[in-house]
Amino acid sequence: MVEVGDKLVGYATDDEVRKRGASGGLVTAVLAAALEKGMVESVVVLKHIDEYEAVPIITDDVEEVLASTGSMHSVPVNLAKYAVDRKVAMPGKPCDIKAVIEQSKRNMIDLDNTYLVGLNCGGTMPPVLTKQMLIEMYDIDPEDVVGEDIEKGKLIYRTKDGNEKAISIEELEEAGFGRRKNCQYCQLKIPTNSDLACGNWGVIGDLAGSATFCEVMNEKGKKLIENAVEAGRIEVAPASDKAIAIREKVNGVMVKMGETTQEKVFTQMPDEERLPYYREALADCIDCGGCKLACPVCSCGDDAKCTLFHSLGDNYKMSMFHLVRLLHLSDSCIGCGQCTDVCPVDIPITRIQMSFSIPVQTKLNYKPGMNADEKPPFFEVMIK
Amino acid sequence: MADNNDWEPKIVAFCCNWCSYGGADTAGMGRFQQPASTRVIRVMCSGRIDPLHVYNAFLEGADAVLVTGCHLGDCHYVNGNEKTELKYQFLEEMVKQLGLEPERLYLNWISASEGERFANFINDVTAKVKEIGPSPLKPEGVS
Repeated sequence: MVEVGDKLVGYATDDEVRKRGASGGLVTAVLAAALEKGMVESVVVLKHIDEYEAVPIITDDVEEVLASTGSMHSVPVNLAKYAVDRKVAMPGKPCDIKAVIEQSKRNMIDLDNTYLVGLNCGGTMPPVLTKQMLIEMYDIDPEDVVGEDIEKGKLIYRTKDGNEKAISIEELEEAGFGRRKNCQYCQLKIPTNSDLACGNWGVIGDLAGSATFCEVMNEKGKKLIENAVEAGRIEVAPASDKAIAIREKVNGVMVKMGETTQEKVFTQMPDEERLPYYREALADCIDCGGCKLACPVCSCGDDAKCTLFHSLGDNYKMSMFHLVRLLHLSDSCIGCGQCTDVCPVDIPITRIQMSFSIPVQTKLNYKPGMNADEKPPFFEVMIK
Repeated sequence: MADNNDWEPKIVAFCCNWCSYGGADTAGMGRFQQPASTRVIRVMCSGRIDPLHVYNAFLEGADAVLVTGCHLGDCHYVNGNEKTELKYQFLEEMVKQLGLEPERLYLNWISASEGERFANFINDVTAKVKEIGPSPLKPEGVS
């Protein structure tokens, strides 16, 4: 029987799902089984449109869940807000899971009703830039791509005619392509905050490419796996020591890369340069409010402090909206990069936010989105 | 801009009704000399002071902002000033990261009887702000 803390290697029993899945289709099968057996009312999945576009849908149709197999590295949407007020199971990158946990701290999501299947994530890529990268760096027509993968520090694209081309991520990122900026310094690659941490790292030998490594993180994860096994949708076996070691090694390398980049990106700017820099960057803001809407941690709704006390008529040197947001998120920003993605005038908001958040979070020793029982420090007012 | 000796900084002091406002009052009654640089804003409790108010003061042209309240443990509302302290930690870090001089923001506990302390505090802050000059966040046309 499955126990909490178990590390397993498994795959979907349905051959079609297994073949189409990025690595054995285990995640899809687990989600489908949870829906089938009534553990949840619906499942949040991405509905493919093409290789670079997908829309999140909330579905109670098992077929639609099964059809959603396969990973998408170029669709950097955050799914957290789709779980609000619903009894759902959802797959998610580490940042999706972090956001769900932050929402639960703000009483928007009931974690008891939400099953989180985490996916290992080495980083996501912006769709438009990816197409441009394929043409310029890979010399591949974006329409010909059938698969993608990140392996040993290289980004691999497979085309219709069966060819593969790999270029190292470092090289791509130096050329300004590759992963989104925030992914480059993200330091959570295996979603240990989820219920079930899945991925293809540590799948070796014959199984490579057709099985999923998964770690049962808590009771809910155990329920998910047991339910899927009972429903006959997946088969699992304990992972070998070698597989576990390889997974740890890959994770170690990725986290190390993140740390190095973070150090490089967030070198302390000299005091006198900071204020002019922030003012200049935020001066482009057109007050669309997109960053607030897209933020998966924010939960104030329409009447938020950041918007209520902000007026276009103010002749202020910095925007109140951004100042309030910078402060309110300083302890809770998970660095998912949604705000930068939606910004129509390309303000690097995530970078700016993180330059405030990293010192605060380090000082208070608080990691947002990791532990649902740990309240954000800003909320903590003790009555002695 | 007039030269620095003539220039009088504008300092916004948030004072709580029960202690530091009383302290400001006592400073006046005790005839302790202090510069005319402060604009006192009375709030019922220092816990009412949102970081937003502090930003607003800076953006409206304050050269320094003082957050003052009762001594810890003496709050009229049990623990209002502990909340202030918590919020202030964030504010302090933000102001530092933003690149504003740390000499522009202060937290101080002043009781109603500490008139001299209040006057000295204002004297010190005014002297320091005079040294560093007007705030870079001051809007155009505000002296």
